[in-house]
Amino acid sequence: MGRPDLNRRQLLGGIGGLAVAGSFGFAALGTGADALASGADTRVRYWNLFSGGDGANMIAMLDSFRKENPGIDVKDSTFQWGNPFYSKLAMAAAGNRAPDLGVMHLGRITGFSPGRLLDPWDVDLLAKYGVREADFNPDLWKRAVIDGELYALPLDIHVQLCFYRKDVLKKAGLLDDDGRIVPVTSTGEWFDVLKEAKKATKKGLQAIGLWINDQNFQWWFFVAFYTQLGGTWFNAANSEVTFDTDKATQVLEFLRQHITDGYANPGMGSVGAEQFMNGAPFAWEGNWSVPVFSGAKLDYGATPLPPVFGKQATHAESHAFVLPHQSERGGATNEAAHRLAAYVVQHAQQWAAGGHIPAYTPTLSTAAYKELNPQSEYVSAMDHQATEPKVWFAGSTGILAQRLGPVIVSSTMGSAKPEAVARRMKGALTQLLAMKNPMDGQTAAQGGAVA
Amino acid sequence: MTTASTETVIAPPRTKTAALSATARRKQGFQHGGWFVAPFLALFVLFVIWPLVRGVYLSFTDANIAGDSANFVGLDNYREALQDPQMWDALGHSAYFTLLVVPCITVLAFLLATLAHHIEHAKWLWRLCFFAPFLLPSTVAGNLWQWLFNPGTGMINHVFGIETPWLTDKSYAMLAIVITTLWWTVGFSFLLYLAALQGIPDHLYEAAKLDGANAWHRMVHITVPMLRNITGLVIALQILASLQVFDQAVVMMDFSPGPEESTRTFVQFTLEEGFTSYRVGYASAISIIFFVIIAAVALARMWLLRNREETAR
Repeated sequence: MGRPDLNRRQLLGGIGGLAVAGSFGFAALGTGADALASGADTRVRYWNLFSGGDGANMIAMLDSFRKENPGIDVKDSTFQWGNPFYSKLAMAAAGNRAPDLGVMHLGRITGFSPGRLLDPWDVDLLAKYGVREADFNPDLWKRAVIDGELYALPLDIHVQLCFYRKDVLKKAGLLDDDGRIVPVTSTGEWFDVLKEAKKATKKGLQAIGLWINDQNFQWWFFVAFYTQLGGTWFNAANSEVTFDTDKATQVLEFLRQHITDGYANPGMGSVGAEQFMNGAPFAWEGNWSVPVFSGAKLDYGATPLPPVFGKQATHAESHAFVLPHQSERGGATNEAAHRLAAYVVQHAQQWAAGGHIPAYTPTLSTAAYKELNPQSEYVSAMDHQATEPKVWFAGSTGILAQRLGPVIVSSTMGSAKPEAVARRMKGALTQLLAMKNPMDGQTAAQGGAVA
Repeated sequence: MTTASTETVIAPPRTKTAALSATARRKQGFQHGGWFVAPFLALFVLFVIWPLVRGVYLSFTDANIAGDSANFVGLDNYREALQDPQMWDALGHSAYFTLLVVPCITVLAFLLATLAHHIEHAKWLWRLCFFAPFLLPSTVAGNLWQWLFNPGTGMINHVFGIETPWLTDKSYAMLAIVITTLWWTVGFSFLLYLAALQGIPDHLYEAAKLDGANAWHRMVHITVPMLRNITGLVIALQILASLQVFDQAVVMMDFSPGPEESTRTFVQFTLEEGFTSYRVGYASAISIIFFVIIAAVALARMWLLRNREETAR
């Protein structure tokens, strides 16, 4: 041990020091480059969860906003869909590092601690940029209002649809003079339609794909038909469960019958879309399948889920803009966020190509929208939305869906009796109502977060 | 283990000096080695020790994902967890998975290793084939088998001419995950066995042959007993790894709890409580419970091993 050893240490120390200094240097360079790139005065940081076709449409809308508003630099970041996104948004808002603008599912707003993790919209500012309450479906707008404040600006609704192959249904004699599916108003009529369609179906294909073993889709379908029956979930104060097990049983039996009557194949639960593309007459899917089927150049149509229980209603969720909480929200950045959201909401024609129904109703009556097919065929879904109850545990892939979805599947797949499942659902709802929202320690009744 | 016993025999007369020199050596050792270990230690404390301590603390609070306004709730989380049927379900699924995987993987790894050991031609090819899947990330393995199990277009149903809804029916879903896991991870145990097989002295087999033992006898009376230690190791490692099953299961089920919640594993349940329900305090309590269970399994194994050695002595 002696000098050479020491020298080696100095050398190592030197290299280490350089490495550390270098990394700081790169970090500094990073922020510097970021600042340089934006020649604009105001920067809006915008977080969303749109990938695939939706992502491309969103970017196109942002690009046209950038072109028209050179003074505003939009820095958009796309995150992985679902709970990873919500967790990140919540932590950012709580840590005061939130973006200026975000996107959420409308159903999740109530559970997202509005007022603490979300800031309310300035309705006057929105009006200045051309977006008013009168431009929206009143029920949709009301779902975005909590304690009298607007916490979400709806961009669209996305709904569950009954897709049908016109070529197959024509053979089965199930198309009317306009080339659309004959109207169905009862479960009996619906199964008659399936019976006829099955006769015209190619061998090896099921008559209908309805995601019989997918907990999300089964939940959405259940919400739709349960709403058609006029079923309710909780009383107005969210203190009592009003879930009607008889109505629920009817819906569960209806879903199950698709399998017992041989129209849906339990082995083909997850490949309904592929079967539809190969010539199966029906598929119940979300409207996001429109670009897929249109891209495949199919001869098809799409209506809201059939009103088999007498009343129109199909499941609807909504993508909505939100203002994640910032302790110093305001000024030019906040105004730019309002401006951007208002712009995208009003220019959602492109968004409709993804199958979603634009929330901004003036868009729906434009000639360009009316030309869109099959979008114009199911646009009526806007007025017949079946939604989850407005409680903190509801919303897209929320606790409610995760608890009840698998239970519904067990009935549809036949491993549990519909009546028993309806009772289990009621039990779960009772449990959830007593549960405290971890975000504020209050139950649904205490939260009282209903407009 | 024989070395340990000899040490205890010689140790008593020298205890004092040995202890002294050990401290001295330790002191001296840190001066030289300490700085080399320091970067690792810093990261270890930051990413393992600190989260562990913090997790224990959080488990006594009602903390949410946003990390603000957490209250101390004592043992409430633990009390709730022990009464939570969902937790017991999830624990049951992880245990069921372990019960299926451990025996299968042990037997399979042994058979593959024996095969690879005895085959003369293209030795490297066999070893590569059996070991290669282990090198894949869990997401790749999970996605691959998700395609293979696809009911309409998947290879499995096509090749066997069946229509089994592998991933969408609760009676097959866990089985599908087990099959994937076998294919994916058998390589590791295979390698352990192969190395151990090569360590068995040839003269044992030669002697047995001279005594007229056939291949079966040689396997049962030489190979299997000689591999006893390694079998114990394989089983122990597999139990610990299988109880923590998570990634391949969620990838294959697209992060859902599987058909009718039949494949929700314990780790997945913890994740859901923390990041879907936002109950970080509760999720921490659950993971502490899980930690205790795993530690108990590991300790039980050590205890069994020691007992066996003592009876063997």
